[in-house]
Amino acid sequence: MVLLGGLIPAMAQTREQEADLKAVFIYNFTRYVEWNVNQNESEFIIGIVGNSAIDKPISQIAKTNTVNSKRIIIKHFSRPEDISYCHILFIPSGRAVDTKTILDNVDKGTLTIGDGADMARNGACLNFVLSNDKLKFEANLNALAIAGLKASSQLLKLAIIVN
Amino acid sequence: MQVFTSVIVLGLFFAVFITTDLKEYKKRKEESVSSLAHIIGANSISSLQFQDNDAATGNLADLRKIAPDISNAIITDKTGNIFASYSKLPTTRTDSFLLNTKATTFSGKQFFSVTDIINDREFLGKVMLEVELTEFQQIKKQRFALATLLLLASLGFSFLLAILVQQYLSKRLLHLVNRMKEVGKTGDYTPVKDEGKDEIGLLVQAYNKLMNEVKENQHKKDEFIGIASHELKTPLTSIKGYLDLLNMMEDGQPHKLYVRKSLDSAHKLERLIQDLLDVSKIQSGQLQLNIQQFNIEEMITETISAFQMVSPTHTIVKESTLNGQLAFADKQRIEQVLINLLSNAIKYSPGENKVIVYATQQHGEFLIKVRDYGLGIPEEEKTEIFERFYRTKDASVHISGFGLGLYICRDIINRHNGKIWVEREDKGSSFYFSLPLHPKGNAVATGQ
Repeated sequence: MVLLGGLIPAMAQTREQEADLKAVFIYNFTRYVEWNVNQNESEFIIGIVGNSAIDKPISQIAKTNTVNSKRIIIKHFSRPEDISYCHILFIPSGRAVDTKTILDNVDKGTLTIGDGADMARNGACLNFVLSNDKLKFEANLNALAIAGLKASSQLLKLAIIVN
Repeated sequence: MQVFTSVIVLGLFFAVFITTDLKEYKKRKEESVSSLAHIIGANSISSLQFQDNDAATGNLADLRKIAPDISNAIITDKTGNIFASYSKLPTTRTDSFLLNTKATTFSGKQFFSVTDIINDREFLGKVMLEVELTEFQQIKKQRFALATLLLLASLGFSFLLAILVQQYLSKRLLHLVNRMKEVGKTGDYTPVKDEGKDEIGLLVQAYNKLMNEVKENQHKKDEFIGIASHELKTPLTSIKGYLDLLNMMEDGQPHKLYVRKSLDSAHKLERLIQDLLDVSKIQSGQLQLNIQQFNIEEMITETISAFQMVSPTHTIVKESTLNGQLAFADKQRIEQVLINLLSNAIKYSPGENKVIVYATQQHGEFLIKVRDYGLGIPEEEKTEIFERFYRTKDASVHISGFGLGLYICRDIINRHNGKIWVEREDKGSSFYFSLPLHPKGNAVATGQ
């Protein structure tokens, strides 16, 4: 069961708990990022490359929450070429294809979120990392700028800035 | 009295003012702390959402600089667990702190402010701030000290004013009172001067008018005394004159006896009139003394022999230790005193009896004592007998006279700065009077 606001302490998580937390974080990111482009989308699209442990929790969140009054829909992409426009693209770790290839297929206005070492450095806007057993995230300001997204300082102050 | 009421009113005013002021301060403090809590809460939203305790703690740490009067701060998450905390001092009492659930609680030295952190209608946690009230206490003390100081200053000032005003008023009143006293003593009826236009001025005016009337009455009385004296004495002198002639002419009895008795009565009448006039003069402060030097022992001897002649029933003896000392006094009046005392001594010791006159000098004054062995004076009447018209209450004996003799004696002796009194003896009484050897210039005197 995923609860917003974090009833689950970020310390000492199981993989499942970690996935739940990541899903919550992803949802919370939407509060602090501005998508100026692609306003004509009637839904908020969260895309996931491949399969991920967050599938279940994020679907749960999508069922009961909205972003800016828009319904959330989850899309899965097996191959980089398949990637269509989504507001958020989650790129889990442990994949066959490298990050760069994926990112090349991503449109402007997508908040790319990585989940592995160096992914932010490689061009993802945000990236989950573990720091002292706590879930944190990196932010690549360049990537954000290129993507045409504005991230609130309230978010960035919590992020590990990477360029 | 008025000073106190105004100070009390002032004190009340200060109290109200200060209380309101302090309340205002409290309110403003509350509001400012509340705002601060809100801001902290807003800044902590993301930290809470992303469970970044460190960021939240870092946020709170800023309080050390921006709000030094905050001693403790806590951010709790949805479940009420501590998410981040800050403490100005190493000692933290967060447990009791967490018990405060009300929005603001004042508790003596500190107050607690609790604010909810809400984002998008979602409750995320609470911010709790504990504020030290030392500044408040300081201000409170300051205010009270200032108020007390001002109160004391105004009290002092009011007193000063009151004293000045009172002095002005009292001065005039006391002036009036003193003049009134003087009039009693000296009979000087000059009007009192007062330029004031207020009630005291009116009082003085009324007084002056009254005294003027009294003065005029006094004049009338004096005139009357003068007239009466002359009118009464003149026929009396005539009577005495003819009786004296008859006394000399008549040798046969009972004619001589009748003449003698008439003469006695005439003399008595003369004395009575003289006493009345004397009393009248004493009353209006007009008794004058004619001070001269004379041999007091000689005077006593003369007086005794003169008296002895008309008092065959009694034996009057003189015992004196004087040595020709001279007295400074009104000889006639002192003689009058002695005559009065002797007269009383004889009157009040009926039958055959002895009267002794002692005369000594001691402690710088003459002391004369007239001792009789008669009825004596009851203890309780010792002072009253010197009052006007006083006759002894002992009804067993009818004593003639107005009861004025001792009153006149007292006045005469007092004017000489002497003393006159009576002492009871086993049988009879002793009347004493003293005369200072030297008048010291205090006796009211004329002539010489």
